[in-house]
Amino acid sequence: MEFRDSPWTKLDKDLTQCRLALITTGGVHLRCQPPFNMTDPSGDPTFREIPADASPSDLLIKHNYYDHSDADKDINILLPIERVFDLKQAGDIGDVNYRHFSFMGHIMHHHIDTLIEKTAPQVATELKSDNVDIAILTPA
Amino acid sequence: MGLIQRSIEDVGISTISISLSKEITGKVRPPRAVCFGSLLGHPISYPGQVSRQLCVLRLLLKYLEEIRAPGTIVDIDSTAVDECAAAYPASK
Repeated sequence: MEFRDSPWTKLDKDLTQCRLALITTGGVHLRCQPPFNMTDPSGDPTFREIPADASPSDLLIKHNYYDHSDADKDINILLPIERVFDLKQAGDIGDVNYRHFSFMGHIMHHHIDTLIEKTAPQVATELKSDNVDIAILTPA
Repeated sequence: MGLIQRSIEDVGISTISISLSKEITGKVRPPRAVCFGSLLGHPISYPGQVSRQLCVLRLLLKYLEEIRAPGTIVDIDSTAVDECAAAYPASK
């Protein structure tokens, strides 16, 4: 899929006034949530909501298409859930949103339509309703 | 990931992502991306490297502010992260 242009939202606030959310495609989920579906070769276009105050020990990774053994040891290399609070404490950003979101990469075929038309816009709307100003997206 | 980023930017949130493949990112054209030359599974450094993890995030915030042209992909040499980590050994 190729695009000729890019969407654009001008950053019109100082970072110290901004609320930050994280989005990863690394297949992160809470222990209590169903893992991403690895049996469908076209992937899984659903998402999981990750509370910002979740402990790293509450988080698991279900993603068979990359080696996540290091991220299993320290989730911050994939979803920097603790580091963003360090940024807030240091005054780099204004606030951390109360939730982040996780997808699974490797989404193919008909699931791309589901991602574009349904699940990605749904997460975007949720973040907007949270008054999030800025988002950092991390791949696997 | 670029498709998700495009959706989030579309609703009025300024976004930046880490690119693991400039070729793929260049096709999807998210608004802002940084390529650190990271290895698969290690977009934000390695386990326990708190200073380096913070430096990667601070560089992302820096380029979130500085990029002015939609679709920009910034190449970052690993020495930039090294220098940042040396300057800020624990936190800012």
